[in-house]
Amino acid sequence: MTTRDLGYVALFAALIVALGIVPAIPLAGGVPITLQSLGVMLAGLILGPKRGALAAIVVIALVGLGLPVLAGGRGGLGVYAGPTAGFLFGWAPAAFVTGFLAMRLDRAETAAAARFAGLFGAGVAGSIALLYVCGIAWLAFVTKLGLSKAFFVSLPFVPGDLVKAAVAALVTIKVRDAFALDRK
Amino acid sequence: MIEGLGGEGQSWFHRLPAGVKLIGLAALATALFLVEHRGALAGAAGLALAALVSTGLGFERIRRALTGPLFVIAAVGAVDWIFLDGRTAATVALRLSALAFLAQAVVATTTTEALSEVFERALGPFDRLGLIDAARASLALTLALRFVPLIVEEATAIREAQAARGLSNHPIAVIVPLVVRTLVRAERIADAIDARGFPPQKNSNSSR
Repeated sequence: MTTRDLGYVALFAALIVALGIVPAIPLAGGVPITLQSLGVMLAGLILGPKRGALAAIVVIALVGLGLPVLAGGRGGLGVYAGPTAGFLFGWAPAAFVTGFLAMRLDRAETAAAARFAGLFGAGVAGSIALLYVCGIAWLAFVTKLGLSKAFFVSLPFVPGDLVKAAVAALVTIKVRDAFALDRK
Repeated sequence: MIEGLGGEGQSWFHRLPAGVKLIGLAALATALFLVEHRGALAGAAGLALAALVSTGLGFERIRRALTGPLFVIAAVGAVDWIFLDGRTAATVALRLSALAFLAQAVVATTTTEALSEVFERALGPFDRLGLIDAARASLALTLALRFVPLIVEEATAIREAQAARGLSNHPIAVIVPLVVRTLVRAERIADAIDARGFPPQKNSNSSR
């Protein structure tokens, strides 16, 4: 772990927090999205599995320190034990798997459409499918809803997250054109 | 953005060591998940609220701190009521409320410095085993916090610049330059840290 790696991790953690503070950008169709989970996807897609997961872990630690770093000014140990904690702790494995898949699916020499498909797939598998497994399992346990009902309650958030995965894939392609950085 | 954090105060809760408060909170949180009796949970929630009030925070600050968590708890309770039954909803809502009150009491009476000190001490054993570098870990936390306001400022500046070019509210046009500038800034900071020889290396092969 070089000092540069430490810098990328720390500043991407800051970026994830900052994306929860900047007002949501209204997308076409007028659906406002908060951008924090987009930051987690980008951490995996751009930094790669290890550094992406570490950036997520830094944010999770800041939450535990009681700082209001989550979207809407939430933070504190209450979040750790709250009903949505699985969606917070899931960020670390989500960023890791997203980055891991991005390393294998995104090759610079392929066509832009293929790169987009690979990055979008990495985001959907890691930052949506895996994240929802963590989040729904904890939600089902805390609220006693049972897995199927907890899944049903979480469904309305999926379309917005699919849009974010598409945005993250496009942003990653453009960023990597401008800034050369190996994923690790 | 770091307001809402605890600190000054003379209550008995303020005087407890941060480590004791954190371990107590973790133990009570675990215990609460083992209790199913609604009366006991209601008692726990009442006691936790009393503890929160005893910190002398004042009604307005407590109300502001609890609005968000109580909204989530109400939503969870409503979902449980609709899909399951009123009893489960009450059990779950009481348990989560007790947790929210306790956590708020701890956070409101503990400074960030004290908390991060506890974190660093907790990381100590892992540091000695060579699994984690406590100095670097706390440097990452401090750096991240320090740069949040600067990145927010940069995002606002980029949005204004794009709006002036007629690209208002195009998410990709805002996020791409924001991410690139963040990466460039991270490199510069890393070089500045290296130039100052921080954090001190423990052995010669840990740096590269």
